[in-house]
Amino acid sequence: MVRLTGKLADGQFITRGVSRCSTERFLLWLAPWVALLVFGVYCAGLCLVKGLNQTNMDNRFVFGLWIFVDLTIIALGAGAFFTGFLLYILKFKELSAVINSAVIIGLVCYSGAMAALMVDVGQPLRCWFTFWYPNVHSMLTEVTFCISCYLAVLAIEYLPVVLKNRRLKEIPSFLVFEFELHKLIYVLAGVGTFLSFFHQGSLGGLFGVLRGRPFAFREGLMVWPSTFFLFILSAAAVGPSFLILTTWLVEKITHKRLVKDQVFQLLARISGILLCVYVLAKAVDTLVWLNRTSPGLGFEAAQYYDWKPFGTWILFAEIVLFGLLPALILITPGLRARRGWLIPATALACCGVALNRFVQTVQTQALPTLSFDRFLSYSPSWQEVGTFAGVLAYGVLVYSFSFRYSQVFPEERELKAARVMRLEIPEEELVEAGR
Amino acid sequence: MLPWNYGFHFATASYIFLGAFYTVLIVVATTLLNAFLRARRDLTKAKAEEIRWHSDFHELAAADRSCRHVLTGEFQSRECPHAFDCRKCETHAKLIASHPPVEGAGEADLFGMSFPLDRMYHRGHTWARPEADGTVTIGLDDLGTRLLGVPDSVELPQPGEEIHANGTAFRIHKREADVRVLSPVDGEVVETGGVDRGYFLRVKPIDGNMDMRHLLRGAEVKPWLLGELERLQLALSMEGASMPSLADGGTPVADIAAAYPRTDWDAVCGEMFLEP
Repeated sequence: MVRLTGKLADGQFITRGVSRCSTERFLLWLAPWVALLVFGVYCAGLCLVKGLNQTNMDNRFVFGLWIFVDLTIIALGAGAFFTGFLLYILKFKELSAVINSAVIIGLVCYSGAMAALMVDVGQPLRCWFTFWYPNVHSMLTEVTFCISCYLAVLAIEYLPVVLKNRRLKEIPSFLVFEFELHKLIYVLAGVGTFLSFFHQGSLGGLFGVLRGRPFAFREGLMVWPSTFFLFILSAAAVGPSFLILTTWLVEKITHKRLVKDQVFQLLARISGILLCVYVLAKAVDTLVWLNRTSPGLGFEAAQYYDWKPFGTWILFAEIVLFGLLPALILITPGLRARRGWLIPATALACCGVALNRFVQTVQTQALPTLSFDRFLSYSPSWQEVGTFAGVLAYGVLVYSFSFRYSQVFPEERELKAARVMRLEIPEEELVEAGR
Repeated sequence: MLPWNYGFHFATASYIFLGAFYTVLIVVATTLLNAFLRARRDLTKAKAEEIRWHSDFHELAAADRSCRHVLTGEFQSRECPHAFDCRKCETHAKLIASHPPVEGAGEADLFGMSFPLDRMYHRGHTWARPEADGTVTIGLDDLGTRLLGVPDSVELPQPGEEIHANGTAFRIHKREADVRVLSPVDGEVVETGGVDRGYFLRVKPIDGNMDMRHLLRGAEVKPWLLGELERLQLALSMEGASMPSLADGGTPVADIAAAYPRTDWDAVCGEMFLEP
């Protein structure tokens, strides 16, 4: 039986024993994000109703800002599949502390990317064409199929998070469905891993197969260019970092400890190791491309970097500043144990994957390849930026509601108890007790 | 690429792609359907209460899930693998066989509270007392009673309804707290009581046999209660109440809720009555 009584209605949906801000403060927090979402919907509406002339996209920059955003948030959202894989398949039990957060982030990222993609394609009423009349020769087809399926999987994985709500779980049918679904969640985690593996790879493959764009074209294994594997690796490496970053951000905003340090350390270690492998693979790939692939296609690689502002700094930033540096910090136990090093390192890693996706999408399109071609610059229109801002606001809103009304971090109450005990029990007694 | 498209022809890639795509769809749909069917089966078999307890049990803090034999010092640390249903536990059966509990051992007065030895105690602060006519009386233990003081309202099951161990026995409302009190035993309700009558329910065995091996008794009660008082102290501190420590002595007041008017009593009761 669900009982709601006027003033307490909001509080009755909040998990027992965790403290959340007042309804008024929560509404105040939501207000700017709702405004931004409304603005984003207006911008997207303009693009959909009036057409893509509302954007600064042209025949060269056919996907513009949004494809960069799509690729970036899908890479950052990889924490969902990778954490699920580590927890349910490889049995890293500690990660149950962040799996709900990972699923929410994944859902937000993927649904946001799908929404942006729909605006990008510009024909929402024909969105089903991509499933009914798929283009045999396009990797984008595989990407669309995989992302759609994975979004459905994420939505199903998100269901238990919602149904765990204090009041919803009082309804017996919701309670037992959540319980039974949770018992089968490892199947969905496996499917999610399979789908993510392919679409992350295919997103990279989209650019690696562009023979007419030697800046992006890569050799590879059978039908898969090296970017296929690099995208998978970079997403798997950065997913845990983004999870650390978002959790830390939520901790800062809410002034609460939500996850034990060991979980942060485990995620950081995994992220660091994968980032090392990625940086190594990326370095080898770049060297092969510089010395063989690009010259083989008639382009000396140095000339790509003559077009400012895309100088060699961008290559250095991508591999060293945003790759090697955070990787070294994250694999060094002494450094990653300190928040002052850990958080900037994860932020650098996330910037790295964003820069990589920017290079793949925007820089690739900007550079001329034919003799009559010229360097083209592109800056998004306010409608494009507004749509992206709308996606961002949507993400914040979904996460905010989930955090308030669901048990996103199961260790929250335990950590609250630990904090109280620390306040009450002298430090030396805690050390003796091994806490 | 798909069979209904113009110009479609089967190639190896088509087989692989379509095979993988439809396999994924089938796996996802089957998983969802499976969960639906299992849920329907659970509801048909009235297993919702059992599932609710299992779900709640796993959300308890690790320390609160500890085995009863940790309380008595037989284990240094052990998490209960049966969600406090020792009737299914082989380890419990072995330990009881090797060290049978001494009936009547223990104290009736613990930390200034009354814990009579003629009954057995559930870790959710209820007791069960076998009666001469084969029925079992169920009530709130002294700490539970002091936590809820004079309840605002009580929701009791009707005579004839069945209740199950670790399932909901009855509900009590006190201030903002809506407490689901766990049943100590399986049984069919034959009579309802109330706060003023000293008990809440009287039940008869469902299949003629009342198994109460999972309940605490005798000398087990004191160490458990000591842990509960520590838990209460922590729960109160977590909800912002400043309170004296156990080392200061004293006994819990008759209406603890009234002593802490600004504390989130729902959270405190959730913690103490094992309903996270």
